[in-house]
Amino acid sequence: MEPPALPAATFERRVVRSGAEHHYLRVRLELPDGGARPNVAQFKQLVVSALRELHGEVGAALPVDVLTYEEKTLSAILRVISSGLVKLWSALTLLGFYQNRRCAFRVLQTSPFLLALSGNSRELVLD
Amino acid sequence: MEKATAFPSLVMGRGEGHIYCPRKVEFKTITPRPTAPLPDKESLLISPVGPIQVSLLIPECGILPEVLKSTIADVGEYYLVRNLSVHELVTHEFIDAFVKKGSCYALTYNTKIDQDNTAALLPNGKLILSVDKDTYEELGLQGHPSRYSGKKVMRYIITIDLTDSGYHPDSKKYKRVLWALKEKKPLEFDFLLAWYNTGAEGSTLMSYFSKNQIKALKPKITISTLRDVQCPVLKSNELQGKPEESCSTEELFEWLGAVWNQVSLDNKSSSFLSTYCCPQPNTVVEKAFLCTITGFIIPEKIIQLLEQLCCYFGEPKLAYWLTLTVHGFADSPVSWRESEHGFHKGGENLYNFVIFRNLDYWLQMAVGTNDDCPP
Repeated sequence: MEPPALPAATFERRVVRSGAEHHYLRVRLELPDGGARPNVAQFKQLVVSALRELHGEVGAALPVDVLTYEEKTLSAILRVISSGLVKLWSALTLLGFYQNRRCAFRVLQTSPFLLALSGNSRELVLD
Repeated sequence: MEKATAFPSLVMGRGEGHIYCPRKVEFKTITPRPTAPLPDKESLLISPVGPIQVSLLIPECGILPEVLKSTIADVGEYYLVRNLSVHELVTHEFIDAFVKKGSCYALTYNTKIDQDNTAALLPNGKLILSVDKDTYEELGLQGHPSRYSGKKVMRYIITIDLTDSGYHPDSKKYKRVLWALKEKKPLEFDFLLAWYNTGAEGSTLMSYFSKNQIKALKPKITISTLRDVQCPVLKSNELQGKPEESCSTEELFEWLGAVWNQVSLDNKSSSFLSTYCCPQPNTVVEKAFLCTITGFIIPEKIIQLLEQLCCYFGEPKLAYWLTLTVHGFADSPVSWRESEHGFHKGGENLYNFVIFRNLDYWLQMAVGTNDDCPP
């Protein structure tokens, strides 16, 4: 005997493709040992100056948010509108100096989903 | 689905093909019992190879709820085997002892899907090898070009069905596969292994691979409590949200990311550093419970956890909803069911459940550019 049919469940599905408003980047600033480390405001200023250097005033006006910043490790999570990702990424890559000292930005992870940055299997050490 | 180009750097700013599909299903007809079947259990075994991280967020809750204690304490152990030759996984001894007697999961560890050869064994008995062109030609096993390798094919996918009736110790196919992987082109990896069986007796992975370097590992559990958190207001029947009334699924998804990355939620829109703030409308909850389980966790355990979470609302609770986030391996050769998975820019491969007090739920699935749309 067949079991009594259950009332149909409502079901709704929505797909968003290429629709992410923002992209997120996890970055780390590399500086030679010793010397001053930028605080969060100086860090943001550095990102803006990197954008200005490569893309001019229009690039500097690109809204970039420093969502988190850890002064100890010089790592940060940045948020940028999706259309500005290439601009930001290229500006960070080509930045070479902070206060006349050599420096480099390492882009560790990038994603259109902020949640994806909280679980990176490539950095996972299990044993 | 747009295909990635062979030059990912050209498309990197446009985020092509990022898929994000929230779903809403009501399962009111199901009573919240531990054994209550979920409506589409099959589709929950989405990430066929074990995820790496399961994160749980319960608003208005300060300690680990009683109903979850046993499930979280018993998420099961998994194994790390060093330098295991792939041919060990295709022998009939292994298949009879493990693959046919339960759900056997295996995934190469510390291999990158966009650079290295990788392999995965799915619970349905399929062994998937994702190999570069040279290895593919040396192996001489039948496969097909990767969907995401562009015009000039540099990566091939080989699928071997270990439970196929034509795959038995006397068959030509069996001998060929064994010969290819043992003598023609021996492939060795560090493997993560897990095995789930329902009560059947038999040898364990630990004793079976005792001559290899094998180590049993337990998932790492971290628990914390947040104080005075701003939580978005959600209504289960409003996926898109309504101004002044509820937040949309996208807003929730970003907020969850902010919580798990310890992003400050109370910025001003004029702030120099960050303009991110908690979506409107929101409420401040006194405390929120966070729990993260990291390791090679098998989908069966996640289903158990999900069923226990439904029981959580069996008694009256202050929380209106809770969330369960599951991160998959970025370097797994498959994402949902058997769809091919690639890395592109980030290898995103995750899903998130929002379970409401009335047992409605939302399921949000996110994958990267080199993926099919989830089911």
